[in-house]
Amino acid sequence: MFTIIQTNLRRRLARTLFTASGIAVGVATIVALLSFTQGLKDTAAGFVHLGGSDLGVFQANVSDPTASILPESLVARLDATPEVSRATPLLLVTEALKADPSAIVFGAQPSGFFSQGLVLLRGARPQGQEVLIGDRLAASLHLRPGGVLRVDGHPFGIAGIYHSGVLFEDSGAVLSIEDARTLTSRPGEVTDIVVELAAGTRASSAARKIERSFPGTQVITDPDQALRAGANSTLISKAILVIVVIALIVGAISVANTMAMSILERQGELGLLSTVGWSPVRVASLILGEGVAVSTLGAAGGLLLGVIGGGLLVHALGVSAYVSPAITAWGLGRGLLVGVAIGVLGGIYPAWRVTRMTPLRALSNA
Amino acid sequence: MSEEAGAEVLVEHAGKSFGRIGALDDVSLHMDRGEAIAITGRSGSGKSTLLGLIGGLERPDRGKVLIDGRPVWLDRHPAQARRELVGFVFQRHLLLAALSARANVEVPLIGAGVHRAERRRRALALLEEVGLADRAEHLPSELSGGESQRVAVARALVNEPRLLLADEPTGALDSVTSERVLDLLFRLRDRLGMTLAVVSYDPDVAKRADRTLTLIDGRIGDTGEAGIAQA
Ligand SMILES: Nc1ncnc2c1ncn2[C@@H]1O[C@H](COP(=O)(O)OP(=O)(O)OP(=O)(O)O)[C@@H](O)[C@H]1O
Ligand SMILES: [Mg+2]
Repeated sequence: MFTIIQTNLRRRLARTLFTASGIAVGVATIVALLSFTQGLKDTAAGFVHLGGSDLGVFQANVSDPTASILPESLVARLDATPEVSRATPLLLVTEALKADPSAIVFGAQPSGFFSQGLVLLRGARPQGQEVLIGDRLAASLHLRPGGVLRVDGHPFGIAGIYHSGVLFEDSGAVLSIEDARTLTSRPGEVTDIVVELAAGTRASSAARKIERSFPGTQVITDPDQALRAGANSTLISKAILVIVVIALIVGAISVANTMAMSILERQGELGLLSTVGWSPVRVASLILGEGVAVSTLGAAGGLLLGVIGGGLLVHALGVSAYVSPAITAWGLGRGLLVGVAIGVLGGIYPAWRVTRMTPLRALSNA
Repeated sequence: MSEEAGAEVLVEHAGKSFGRIGALDDVSLHMDRGEAIAITGRSGSGKSTLLGLIGGLERPDRGKVLIDGRPVWLDRHPAQARRELVGFVFQRHLLLAALSARANVEVPLIGAGVHRAERRRRALALLEEVGLADRAEHLPSELSGGESQRVAVARALVNEPRLLLADEPTGALDSVTSERVLDLLFRLRDRLGMTLAVVSYDPDVAKRADRTLTLIDGRIGDTGEAGIAQA
């Protein structure tokens, strides 16, 4: 049976390849987008755990975490909450580096745990108008301690290079919150407050308590939540769903078309199989098997394309500084599933048609 | 081989219509075990339809078809009856172009779930029988029309059928090749003892058959013994 499927597909090589490539493109799109959203999610995870914190307090209902605005006075009140061990404010400056607009510059209190937790690879802690830069940024812009980084046009001396393990901390830079405030002219305001919880406190219960005590705030404790806080990523996941559905429909139609054509051409052959006693189920599974084989072939090619495409997508969107596409087994698995589903969906109708053909008629039409 | 190798066929008042077209009307027929009959009649008279009814390819609208006393359509799926009891040969050989002669002969056994080694053994034995042992691994495109038809005969026999149905088996062949294929069919019938029905315009078939049945507009016309037809 497998040999028959294989030889049938090879006999119509060009058609098999065309159908498979169509499916490959669909599956590749899905895999690329999934790896992109997984990358976003990893980024969001970094956002939540900035500076190794347990949770982040943001303004409620903002389109994007970086657009949040909180009063600085909140820091002291948070600090006074029993669940909170330490709290430190951050002021994020976006699009501050000409050479890399997607890099984020963090304004942080030099004495806060965010700054203190940065592990320096080279150089020293900043004094006065100086910055620390992440190792990824240093590598991509070829910067080193002693050099100069222009933030929003203002020159800052580079004091040292750090590595934190959080992608967009490492692709960004850190300066004092006072300097950040001067750059953004937002006195008394911060973007978010990162919090370390007291030992033994659960993040979810602390989050509820904080949101209740400080109306208008939103506490983000898990990456999904951070993703939802950003309207863009919600759009992206909806778009992915739409694309998956479209890929399924288009792919299934193309498989159905290919298989329907092929059963018409092969009425004699299929009628013969039925005549020599192949059960309708077996003949139908031959057709279904061919459909699935074509689409699996396409899906396999699509996985490969998708892995490459994921990287291209990130670059095309100009977000490589804070999103690196993450290929997960589940992401690939879903691509493969969609591919196989295409084959099954597209094969069902032709397979059903085959069981309805009367062998004799099929033989005389052939 | 014994008479037991052949199936007994009983068609009782069978009728079949396709929409407005009445293909067969009140046809009754009895074939003894091991009997060979020739079926003739004008184009459209219902010969193929009758063969299809007997072999379980078509379902009768009226009447019954029994093989060895069991209805083909009632107590089991006809595919199973075809698999176990019946072999078919058609005008066109209908070999699967992508498969070798041997693999083509094995096709019915794949449907029956026979193990690979056993399939191979039986297919090669039959190719030997039809004189094509040395062509076993050739593709249909590498075989002549007559050779292809002999492969088709081997394929029809691979499930050791007790009833062999041939619909114009020589219709696409020249007279010399036809002769060889008919020789083969009737020789196998004599040796294996299966019941045989051959649809053909070829007077040679009528001569070799035990009797000839003529269809006229979906009904059975005059039947004659082979000896009478010969005279
Ligand atoms: N599946 C079908 N659907 C509709 N009409 C059919 C079908 N099969 C056969 N017929 C009709 O039934 C009648 C008998 O057909 P059948 O094929 O049995 O004739 P035949 O004697 O074998 O003819 P020929 O010598 O040309 O092969 C014809 O009028 C044919 O058009
Ligand atoms: Mg006919």
